[in-house]
Amino acid sequence: MAMKLTTYQQEMLDGKHGETKQFCMERLSDFGKAVEAEEMVDLVLVLNACPIYSEDRRNPETAEKLAAYDLGHSALYDPIFKMKDAHVADETGTACGNDPYFVQLDKVEEKGYPWNFEIPGKGSFKVDDEMVDDFRAGYDKLLDHGWLPWLSCNPYLNTRIPKMGEYAASSESSAACYINTILSARTNRESPVNTVYCAYTGCMPKYGTHLDENRAAKCIVELDDEVRDNVKGMADFGALGACIAAKAENRIMAVLNLPKNLSAGATKNLISCASPGMNDPMLHLMGITPESPTLEAAFKGNMPKNPERYKVTMDDIIEMYQYLNNLAPAPGPDRAKPVDIVIVGCPHATFDEVREVARLIKGKKVKEGVQLWVQTDTPTYFMAQQYGDTKAIEDAGGKIYHQTCMAMTPFRHYPENIVIATSSFKYVKLGAGFGSEGTTWIYGNPESIVMAAVTGVFTPTARWDYWNRPREERLASEKDRPLYEVPVPMIG
Amino acid sequence: MEQTIAPRPTEMTTQEQKIVLTGIARSKGKAKAEAMVFSHRFGWAFNHVGNEDGKVLTAGWDHQGESVTGKIVVYPTVTGSTSGAVSLYFKVKQSKHGPAGLICREIFPFDISGAIASEIPAVDKLDQDPITTIKNGDIVEIDAPEVGQKATVTITRRA
Repeated sequence: MAMKLTTYQQEMLDGKHGETKQFCMERLSDFGKAVEAEEMVDLVLVLNACPIYSEDRRNPETAEKLAAYDLGHSALYDPIFKMKDAHVADETGTACGNDPYFVQLDKVEEKGYPWNFEIPGKGSFKVDDEMVDDFRAGYDKLLDHGWLPWLSCNPYLNTRIPKMGEYAASSESSAACYINTILSARTNRESPVNTVYCAYTGCMPKYGTHLDENRAAKCIVELDDEVRDNVKGMADFGALGACIAAKAENRIMAVLNLPKNLSAGATKNLISCASPGMNDPMLHLMGITPESPTLEAAFKGNMPKNPERYKVTMDDIIEMYQYLNNLAPAPGPDRAKPVDIVIVGCPHATFDEVREVARLIKGKKVKEGVQLWVQTDTPTYFMAQQYGDTKAIEDAGGKIYHQTCMAMTPFRHYPENIVIATSSFKYVKLGAGFGSEGTTWIYGNPESIVMAAVTGVFTPTARWDYWNRPREERLASEKDRPLYEVPVPMIG
Repeated sequence: MEQTIAPRPTEMTTQEQKIVLTGIARSKGKAKAEAMVFSHRFGWAFNHVGNEDGKVLTAGWDHQGESVTGKIVVYPTVTGSTSGAVSLYFKVKQSKHGPAGLICREIFPFDISGAIASEIPAVDKLDQDPITTIKNGDIVEIDAPEVGQKATVTITRRA
């Protein structure tokens, strides 16, 4: 079945708007046939990966480096870079940009960053100069083509904010999930192949989560009041997101009884943690998701009489913490594990997360030999500079950077046997699969991991002594709590 | 979702049996190669299957340590990063350690686009469950002439 195209789309396909648009349209049409799409949608945002632009990919030495640095997407741009009329569709309002990549372009030679660092006694790592030059060449090419290579995980927060009902193409899963869930704009977890092509056409086949029927909730996940009142830290929200996705067995779900006033960071962490493993990047957060004012709306009008219901309890959250800390467990006793790297910001830290780290580290010193890394997007990076957060972090010996992220460096070539403490679910969950030999992980809230950067040793806070007790015992101990104390245990 | 369909009568010879399945072509092409069957969700991203050597890296997966190079890979559907689409392309087109074709119960869209870019055939929605019907080591032939149209998968099993 052929897709219905608008006049302009048909003209692009016929080559009336130049070689590049025709080249991309042909490929998108093929894909449209495969997914049985009936029409195209216009896009407001395209998010994919910046290419490494190599003159000669076949040169054995370059090819070997590319195998380590390239995700596989770079060569897709080669035919487009050869075309004279290549320009993205930004004049029609499609903002096109990219995920982070492996260096902050103006600090390549500086030490103590993921692209150039040393762990005493374990080894060092520095990115390859040729790859940096080629990345810069790719970045410049994209600028020429009208891209806005923002190198950020979350442009939806501050760079191009899609509105309800608009369409986007994000090959960053966490961004796709946020755009669908919080903004009610529509995107698939898009293929990085398609996002190269649809940037130049500004449109793509309508399929998957673009369509109402594929956005419908299939079940309900409800939070216990105890969960609602005690989930506080960034890592808690990650664990909560993971529990929600697990309860729904990675199907789209409607979520009830969420905490009020979620911060930007909490929202991002909750959602990005539900996204790995969920092929349909969508949650209906009741009271938050604009397109789902009621459960009927979340089920898109097909709500069964008794929808499946699941409960998330505090025990689930604790179990998820334990699971994450056992995926690639760091060596050392339970109460004190030495750390090498403490990292915050995957997906890129929001401004409230950066501020939190600055507040926790202010006036303290990062222990010699330990790295404290905060990674964020460009607007937040400059805000942090403006408002003193950068100074607080750097005075303490930590580093804050933008445009890049540790996982986008050739992480497999880091020194062996390093211990990384993070508040990012994504790092632990995905990183446990692609670190260097012997890389181990600790998952904890910013309070405890920033403290680990200061002492060099990760110690869970008193909060866990409380939560590890059986429920009855916990509730009994609450009775002895003087009224003027905070009603919930300290976060750790 | 497990399908339980009785295997259809097959042409028996003394040495080998043949089974013919029909499905839908999601990426067009022809391929004939040995099958490599995964019973669980599988992904092409560089952390699951090495870009430089095509070896299965993920602990606990079927065929860990084996190479997918030149095989027809059979799996239920995708798991893991969207970058699987471009990692598949890299393995097929650049490091030459990619598969010869894909067969899924239900192929996820980003794997479709990876297969189209790699110019290897991909087929799903077969009339029998490929995960149980196809065995490791079977010689499988995919004939997928046109995207969105009927495709055939011929399985040859040595007795």
